[in-house]
Amino acid sequence: MEDVAAIETRSLVKRFGNIEALKGVDIRLERGEFFGLLGPNGAGKTTLIRILTTLLMPTSGEAWLYGYHVVKECARVRHLIGVVPQATTCDLDLTARENLDIYGRFYGLAKKERTEQIDYLLKMIGLEERSEDLVATYSGGMRRRLEVARALVHRPSLLILDEPTLGLDPQSRYMVWRLLKRLKDDYSLTILLTTHYMEEAEALCSQVAIIDHGKIIAVDTVEGLKKSVHERDKVELRLEAPAGVDPVTTVRTLEGVKDAGLKEGLLTVTVENSQRGLPAIFEALRKKDVKIQEVRTTHLTLEDVFIHYTGRPVRDEETRKVSFFIGAGVPRKWGR
Amino acid sequence: MRRLIAIIERDLRKFLRNPLVMVVSIVMPIIYLLILGNSFLGELKHLPVAIIDRDGGSFAERVIENLEAIERGPSTIATYRVSSEGEAMRGLKEGLFKAVVIIPQGFSKHLVKRGSAEVGLFVDNTDVVSANTLKTALLSALGSTAEGFIAVRERAEGVRVRTIEVHPKIDYDQTLIPGVVIMAIFLGALTTGVFNIVMDRFLGTDESLLLTPLTRTDIVGGLVISGLVITTVLALVVLVLSSLISGIYLWNTLSPSGFVGVVFIVMLSTLSLQGLLFIILGRADHPRVVGVLGGFLNVILFFPSGAVYPVESFPYLLRLFAWVNPETYSVHALKAVLFKGAGLGAIKGDILFLSVFALFTIAVAIATFKREL
Ligand SMILES: Nc1ncnc2c1ncn2[C@@H]1O[C@H](COP(=O)(O)OP(=O)(O)OP(=O)(O)O)[C@@H](O)[C@H]1O
Ligand SMILES: [Mg+2]
Repeated sequence: MEDVAAIETRSLVKRFGNIEALKGVDIRLERGEFFGLLGPNGAGKTTLIRILTTLLMPTSGEAWLYGYHVVKECARVRHLIGVVPQATTCDLDLTARENLDIYGRFYGLAKKERTEQIDYLLKMIGLEERSEDLVATYSGGMRRRLEVARALVHRPSLLILDEPTLGLDPQSRYMVWRLLKRLKDDYSLTILLTTHYMEEAEALCSQVAIIDHGKIIAVDTVEGLKKSVHERDKVELRLEAPAGVDPVTTVRTLEGVKDAGLKEGLLTVTVENSQRGLPAIFEALRKKDVKIQEVRTTHLTLEDVFIHYTGRPVRDEETRKVSFFIGAGVPRKWGR
Repeated sequence: MRRLIAIIERDLRKFLRNPLVMVVSIVMPIIYLLILGNSFLGELKHLPVAIIDRDGGSFAERVIENLEAIERGPSTIATYRVSSEGEAMRGLKEGLFKAVVIIPQGFSKHLVKRGSAEVGLFVDNTDVVSANTLKTALLSALGSTAEGFIAVRERAEGVRVRTIEVHPKIDYDQTLIPGVVIMAIFLGALTTGVFNIVMDRFLGTDESLLLTPLTRTDIVGGLVISGLVITTVLALVVLVLSSLISGIYLWNTLSPSGFVGVVFIVMLSTLSLQGLLFIILGRADHPRVVGVLGGFLNVILFFPSGAVYPVESFPYLLRLFAWVNPETYSVHALKAVLFKGAGLGAIKGDILFLSVFALFTIAVAIATFKREL
């Protein structure tokens, strides 16, 4: 029992008619991990989550949550997980408190326990004052936070969120992030989150898996993923070098520098880490009396990693999708 | 149990947040009563009937008096004494008269001698609704003339002779009340219960239900029970209002056991319809499906139920359908309790059928409920 993983899947396959949404997914999530599943539209994120949360039957393959089989022991699994689905699923014609209370009763919680937990959660998500208003009057961000609270009513061991900040403005998104961070730090909750926001994965996740076309193509820490990509940080310097000085040879031998090239007075240096590499580069160039007029650095981001693995940027369709998902009551059939 | 109650409460709360639904569910069946009741009554009033008396005897007088009594009372007909047969028949052809009654010579004499006699009845068959009503009205006028039979020879078409039994008179819009109540029950059952799961599916909120440890029985049972509560209340309100509109004061006419009977029938009918609808619509994921199928089912179940036309006069296949139609039993039982003052004993059969039907359909609904996306 000790070394039982929070989530473990073995060659999960899911077919919808001709579409193979998952093509053999193996992932393992240790307890206490904040795991990010990163993938573009249609990658199979929601499908994977629905199988893990007992909403869909896998076509083949198996999955366990805390050692419980998601198909054969689905009743046990449902008690263990708290889920924030991709589309808003709160009852709009109920208040926040009613939503939480009724949900708590679905889990068989006694009244006292419910009231305590709900008061606590409402405070945590900052909705105490609006708790008696109908959810229909809430903004998208408030609804999202309410959904997070609802997923926590029965104190699950594992929190699963499907694109929790989709369609939120940066401010609301930040609030959700803070909430999730706090859950992770203060309660060491195990969290699985899908997203196609790079910043989100970078800001929150200790482990990230990249999924595309129903396959996991890379799993590592954010740092590890970056290391696995050959591209590095880039430093571009516009300079004026005295005659006889070759800036390229000057910097190429420096520690951490992978490559350098000069073109029309613009020196491009590829370094392991631009923050650590820059002072040395400056130092070396100044010694040779090279005048630096302009500096620009570009960091390697998860986006680059993503493009490296999937061959396309993650945000291709984002704008369309966001506008589609704003507001509640998106027919799931078309949301998929 | 706690979970099932939570489902019920969720549903009731959501229902109460939309008072418009409630108002519409009450008002619609009543409008139906007013429109159907009045349109039928409108057509049934002042139908012109030509009377030719070739007998002149006392029984002929009696027949005519009876006809005139109908004219003064419910005013279904307007009588016209006509002397020439040719004139009457021309009037019938031209649409001046809806029917011609000919009392032949020797009518009274035959009645005295043989205990039966014939009256000639010509009906404008092109107007089916008034033809049927006229036949009924005229036959009742003739029937109460004598204890025995009066054979009515219809020369327009070979219709069987019927005997008329004299019942306490019930107005047409009163006889519609069981139909109005059953319609309220259908609408109630259609807009609660399974409709909520279809709506949840459509909005995607079912996902949050399915994530929880709720069982099939919790979900289906909870929705059926909350639908039962809502529908029973609605149907009883509709019953009281429609009775008042048609001039029945239920608190005078209904015994306590009769009232219990009515509530019982309403509840069993609701459960039967909920179960049936759950089986039929259980997998729908768009409210439009409910709309289309609901409209269809309403008609299909309502008209053969005996609410408007008597089940007995249906063609064979339709009678067979009426036999398995829960609404038939609801209407029968409601009629018995409301108009004949029957107690629970008289509607045992209806109650038994509805109970079995409800239990069976709900069990199937639970077993076939799709507890995944
Ligand atoms: N019920 C369904 N029927 C048919 N195809 C489906 C169904 N659900 C998902 N799919 C298909 O499976 C694939 C994966 O879909 P999924 O919703 O898992 O993607 P996703 O990674 O969650 O995408 P997004 O970022 O847009 O939410 C898609 O091609 C989708 O069309
Ligand atoms: Mg998705």
